[in-house]
Amino acid sequence: MTDLTGSVDPAAPPGPAAGDLPEAAVRRLQSDAFSSGLTVPDFAACLDLGLEPVALVQGFCVMQWGWYGPGSGYMRGMSPYAVASGSGGGYSETYRCPHGFVSAEHRTWGQNLEQPWVEAAWTQGYSSAYARMIEEATDMGAHGVIGVVDRVGTLADTGNTEFHFLGTAVRVDGGPPPAGGVPWSTYLAGQRLTKSIEAGFMPVAVVASLASVRVWAYCMTEYLMEGQMGMGWGGYASSGPQLVDQVSKAHMAARQLARKHVREQLVGDELHGATIDVATRELSAGDEVIDCTLRGNRVRRFKDFDPIPAPRPTVRLG
Amino acid sequence: MPDLRAEMRKGAESLATAAPPSQARGITSDLSVDEALLLHAAGWEPLDLVCGVAVVSVPVGVWNWGRGAISLASDAHNAAVDQAARALRAECGKVHGHGVVGVRVDVEVRTHHIEVALVGTAVQPADGNDPRGRDAAEAMPFVSDLSARDFTLLLRAGWMPVGLAFGACFVYSPRRTAGTAMKQSTQNIELTNYTEAMYSARESAMEKMQESALEAGGEGVVEVKVTEGPMSFARHAVGFTAWGTAVKLVAEQHQFVQPQMILPLDDAVVTFEAQSLRGAGKKR
Amino acid sequence: MTDPTPEAAVPVARDLPKDAAHRLEELEHGLFTSDLSVNEFLLVKEAGFHPLGFVMGSSIYHIGIQTRKWGESQELTKLTEAMYTARELAMNRMEEEATELGADGVVGVRLDVNYYEWGNDSAEFIAFGTAVKAEDGNSYRNALGKPFTSDLSGQDFWTLMQTGHVPQGLVMGTCVFHIAHRKLTQALGSMGQNVELPNFTQALYEARELAMTRMQDEAGELKASGIVGVRLEEKSHQWGSHTIEFLALGTAVTKTTGEVTLPKPTTIISLDN
Repeated sequence: MTDLTGSVDPAAPPGPAAGDLPEAAVRRLQSDAFSSGLTVPDFAACLDLGLEPVALVQGFCVMQWGWYGPGSGYMRGMSPYAVASGSGGGYSETYRCPHGFVSAEHRTWGQNLEQPWVEAAWTQGYSSAYARMIEEATDMGAHGVIGVVDRVGTLADTGNTEFHFLGTAVRVDGGPPPAGGVPWSTYLAGQRLTKSIEAGFMPVAVVASLASVRVWAYCMTEYLMEGQMGMGWGGYASSGPQLVDQVSKAHMAARQLARKHVREQLVGDELHGATIDVATRELSAGDEVIDCTLRGNRVRRFKDFDPIPAPRPTVRLG
Repeated sequence: MPDLRAEMRKGAESLATAAPPSQARGITSDLSVDEALLLHAAGWEPLDLVCGVAVVSVPVGVWNWGRGAISLASDAHNAAVDQAARALRAECGKVHGHGVVGVRVDVEVRTHHIEVALVGTAVQPADGNDPRGRDAAEAMPFVSDLSARDFTLLLRAGWMPVGLAFGACFVYSPRRTAGTAMKQSTQNIELTNYTEAMYSARESAMEKMQESALEAGGEGVVEVKVTEGPMSFARHAVGFTAWGTAVKLVAEQHQFVQPQMILPLDDAVVTFEAQSLRGAGKKR
Repeated sequence: MTDPTPEAAVPVARDLPKDAAHRLEELEHGLFTSDLSVNEFLLVKEAGFHPLGFVMGSSIYHIGIQTRKWGESQELTKLTEAMYTARELAMNRMEEEATELGADGVVGVRLDVNYYEWGNDSAEFIAFGTAVKAEDGNSYRNALGKPFTSDLSGQDFWTLMQTGHVPQGLVMGTCVFHIAHRKLTQALGSMGQNVELPNFTQALYEARELAMTRMQDEAGELKASGIVGVRLEEKSHQWGSHTIEFLALGTAVTKTTGEVTLPKPTTIISLDN
């Protein structure tokens, strides 16, 4: 599994090298004219910063979710008991039934479970696509990639997931070759990038992570999610609105885990301009899977922060 | 005028040195560059991305056709927002934040549960001076759906957000008897029982919002947003919500901002823009 | 050209629901609410006003059937009356809430029409706005002694005050017009030609003029010197394409005494998107 830095041998001569890039990419990148995804104002702002666009670069990867592979554990209908042991030490929280009642229908045991295998697969797809984009940039001798656009989506009807990265590779005028031979990258471009640099923040990389939490509902969650309050089981009285503790905690955990994974990739740097996307998939009453993606720019402060003077408020007349 | 090219080179060179030792906690923030700059200019700084989520159950049978207000659903909605805000404040407290700005509120009302998710950036004053006073700040971090930009504007004017003000009210649409319906079918007439029902529900939601503002210690509510509409799964039930940010004057008096009038010479079109005459949407 | 301005027919609204009364009472104890954005809030303060509360009025109105001749273009006076009355009811209730709060006026008024599935031929007319009060102690109520209403945003309100004008009220004129269907012979006769269709021209011209004249009349009642921000809306609502409601909406203003000099704006060219 390639890591997010997509390391490349810095000693190799510049120019498209045989990696796992398609042949058309190699041909395109050999051309002399530059291409860029920048709008005109962004282009002007980049030249201002001394950034010279080199080429439009992209990376792509399609992943299939191996639900039934060995050790995957994500099989519908399979008892959570077996899954718990193979969870790989991620987040998990158990819930036990408060009623003293045992039956085939009554789910006495429930669990919120992080699914590291799903997260690993997603990370693999994401970082492969990212690494390919960086590879294209490195082959061009670029120092960084700006204006990155990343898209994760399902491919038509196949149910496979595609990861697509697009960005503009640039060279810093008079700048050093990229650290470790790996170009830096950022979602920003144009004036926003200028403001970030002026404020003293240097982009390092685009970072993202997925946290996937599975909710195996126990009896209380199931009843509450089906609106069955006041069942009269063992003195359970309904007075006032009932919080569904298990599902609420699972949602919180998904977001907190995504943040935690990203923080591990930051290594002391800061994350700016983060976006959180949450997708929920309901499987049956109370059972659901919560996928939370957190993406943002990893930046490093390279000079002391000069606060800008208080901006002046205006009213437009036209 | 800073030398941008030199700055860019300096930045690129800084990457060659190793990353700073991770004593720095690695803040995560969802503020845009502009917002981060404005926040720093106002003397505050972002701490961390925080969230609060609550799912509250709605009992079976609540949405069946009845009369008047659906108090169980209203209570559930209000409780969900309350609980989510509580969880958000707890996360904010963990990183020693004084409040959360730019909160994005996502509400989903389903047949048997209501889900409220809040995500925002926890902030603190860089020098530790909170205009609300130290004790107030520690006791109750504020939650606000104002953007960081609006937050700094308010600060300048001497105001501060104190909390999220929220109120919800669900109501059944009233019924007319067949006889009344027939009689009214040719008349231009106000349907007073409908008016009464919808009006009451809206007022109820806003009243609840006002109460929550007062509870948070606010003097006023800004950016009130009112949503209304039938439930997708039960079209005879209509839900009204009203929410905004509760604010309080913390300076001696309101500080006037004295804006300057500007006239941007950006018009690319020579002709007069008659679109506005045609009622093509009011920009707010 | 008949002019059925139904002044006498509009029910006087002294019928706010008890929830409204309770909520307004709470507002009178010092809490204010407003749907102004932070920008607008600050500009309203700059203009010397303070927001009092979010006010609204609504009315669910059943629009009756009106018979019409298929081949004749005519105003459907009953429908005009209905649309007008319904909106007036909503606006009056909103004004009443504002009066209750002791306001000088209401800014940012929005007039919406909602259709609910369970009401055939009925629609809900809602008016929303933020009630404001002047901080200098003067009364800014209009010539009829009621709080002014205006659909101006906070920014527009501030700019208007800078020019030495004060809003008097939201004025509107409405006209529901039925456009005749053309006879087959007529349609065939002009097929393929570049020609003005005098019936349509006449009809639509008349309809728009009616709407605008009525709006002007309302401004006259308020003794206004002019109307700004006029909007002309044309909607078929739920009547089908041959029946259109023309609505003219604007804010009537008067010039305050004394010369007010407008500070010279700075011209800029913005270089970002």
